[in-house]
Amino acid sequence: MTDIKTWARVKSPWVLHFNSGACNGCDIEIVALLTPKYDVERFGVKLEPSPRHADVLLVTGCVTQQCAERLKSIYDQMPQPKFVVAIGACACSGGVFEGNYNVVGGVDKVIPVTAYIPGCPPRPEAMLDGVVKLLNALNPPKAKKQPKPAKEPEVAKPEVVVAHAAQPVVEEVKPIAKQ
Amino acid sequence: MPNSNIDMISLIKSKFGDKVQIQLGKLGAATITVNNGLHRDVLQSMIEADEKTGITAITGLDLGANIGVYYHVHTSNVFVTIKAEVPKENPKIQTIVDLHPGAAFHELEVADLLGVVFEGHPTLGHFVLSENWPQGVYPLRKDVKASEVKLVPTPPSEEIKLPENERLVKIIIGPQHPALLEPEKFAVTVDGEIVTKVEPRIGYVHRGIEKATESRTYLQDVYLVERICGICNSIHACGFVEAVEKILKTEVPPRAKYLRVVALELNRLHSHLLTLGHAGLEIGYETLFQYFWRDREPIMDLIELTSGNRVYSSLMTIGGVRRDIKETDVPKIKATLKDLRGKLPFYRQIYENEPTLRLRMKNVGVLKREDALKLSVVGPVARGSGVDIDVRKDEPYEAYGEIPFKEIVYTTGDTWARMNVRMDEVEESINIIEYAVDHLPSGPFRIDTPRSVPAGEAVNRVEAPRGELFYYVKSNGTDMPDRVKVRTPTFANIPSFLKTAIGESIADVPANFVSLDPCFSCTDR
Repeated sequence: MTDIKTWARVKSPWVLHFNSGACNGCDIEIVALLTPKYDVERFGVKLEPSPRHADVLLVTGCVTQQCAERLKSIYDQMPQPKFVVAIGACACSGGVFEGNYNVVGGVDKVIPVTAYIPGCPPRPEAMLDGVVKLLNALNPPKAKKQPKPAKEPEVAKPEVVVAHAAQPVVEEVKPIAKQ
Repeated sequence: MPNSNIDMISLIKSKFGDKVQIQLGKLGAATITVNNGLHRDVLQSMIEADEKTGITAITGLDLGANIGVYYHVHTSNVFVTIKAEVPKENPKIQTIVDLHPGAAFHELEVADLLGVVFEGHPTLGHFVLSENWPQGVYPLRKDVKASEVKLVPTPPSEEIKLPENERLVKIIIGPQHPALLEPEKFAVTVDGEIVTKVEPRIGYVHRGIEKATESRTYLQDVYLVERICGICNSIHACGFVEAVEKILKTEVPPRAKYLRVVALELNRLHSHLLTLGHAGLEIGYETLFQYFWRDREPIMDLIELTSGNRVYSSLMTIGGVRRDIKETDVPKIKATLKDLRGKLPFYRQIYENEPTLRLRMKNVGVLKREDALKLSVVGPVARGSGVDIDVRKDEPYEAYGEIPFKEIVYTTGDTWARMNVRMDEVEESINIIEYAVDHLPSGPFRIDTPRSVPAGEAVNRVEAPRGELFYYVKSNGTDMPDRVKVRTPTFANIPSFLKTAIGESIADVPANFVSLDPCFSCTDR
């Protein structure tokens, strides 16, 4: 049963995109991922409009005061197990906007983050690599069966950090306590 | 234009005499300093004299004991600034919304960020800041430190006021919504399927960039203002560096002017292709979206080729540009543009003949010319409604005065016209880039400028893909600016959507809205 669950998750992760205060730079690159040149759908990744159907939350931008509550409620609406990918320098740490009066900071100040993809904005290849690394981290023994990022012609070597929260034992991810 | 030759400044001089002080050649054609109360009269006489008079922006700034309220006004041939001041203890000033409805949003913003009370404004309240922002703290005042603001701990109230009439239903679109890439909220009241009211709430992407520029050096600010918007980033940087160059009285070398034009037009190309595709997505025509985004990728490659980055080109710097175009790159640029030009007839034919597009776009969201003038809309929205404003033509900056190109104007004012303005501008942008790379002057592409800027102030207007972008920069003699004000095109265009959506079907809201090419990261800053 566990195998089936992992298979389902790894084969077709549905992602939800939330802009928590981004400049559109990362957002248009996420949309570029879905369009013919990069076409992330060939890995089974589908952009999903509703948080209730999503497996992975892609967050772009520093978290502003107005968005902090919404981001948390969107995260709470997602079914278990869920993963959060912070895309771009601002989502990772607040970026150039750190310390401004209306900015809370990086995404991890509000919700737990599974993977960080830095860059301003990260190249679509870096995002692809991040998604593939996240999928591999979920299912390490079957890594051979995973889609190979090497097929992508111009893969740069982006710096992608998969944080400790992305350990392979998926079942241990607990819902965060409501404060 | 019947009245485009009016000498507005002499008119004000003869009408008001000694009651106003006029300084020629400052902050536009002239700065008119008025005693409190007279700003309304000056504006009214300008509106009566010229139908194209509109408010570009209202800048509020902390002047110590007083708060300055600067009205930046454009007419068909001049750009002037009306300066008024109000005491900080009792910051009250008469509203101008009744004279010019397009000023409503500008006044709300100044009220929220500086605490100026506009007497007679119909709706005052939080507009940019969050609901739990502490009372009496105005972030753009100098005594407020960014790190010391303590928010009221209560969460923002999400109470929805139900319409009194039972027939009416209120639909909340946003902040997280599939049709919006960015978090913004629109409360749409509908009677059956017909929209009767639209209430916007912006500020979800407000990052306080205007305040942040005051604690960074000019060079750091170039990169910061670039990050106001990820789509039209070169134009933001260009608007800022030109304003600083005006204070420095620096003339950039001719080659830098042409290189800037290439960067700006590449930005416009990718932005217009993005919107033309996005409009397809909003009306459920996903194939068109995929086609446009496929053809946008080669332009992104060109931006990378000329600047080194796909999205943030970071090309502009004070005194010129940071990179030159290599001789060997010119054929690549031309080949890519030629490819794109070859694809345009196909898209034109789709926009012209495809029944889906015609049904969803023709006669949807019609903005009449007089309304466009009243609301001071800018860019393709104004040009789609028959208002011929384009800063590149009206007040040429960089090398635009030397490059031949056409100003695109459609007169029907519907969604279809606004999208077609962009389609034609794609072709004009291709022409401009081809001309610019063919006529690149030789010489240096950057000159050295001092790090500290002498005390002074300047306004600057540039034409972003979404319309006129306005910058006001005030320096105080150090290496950091005293105040930077940005008025972005979407901020000026949203009022037109609130007007055109009313009386139409709720299903037309997305198509109508996306035809403004809304960019909220610009709007909120």
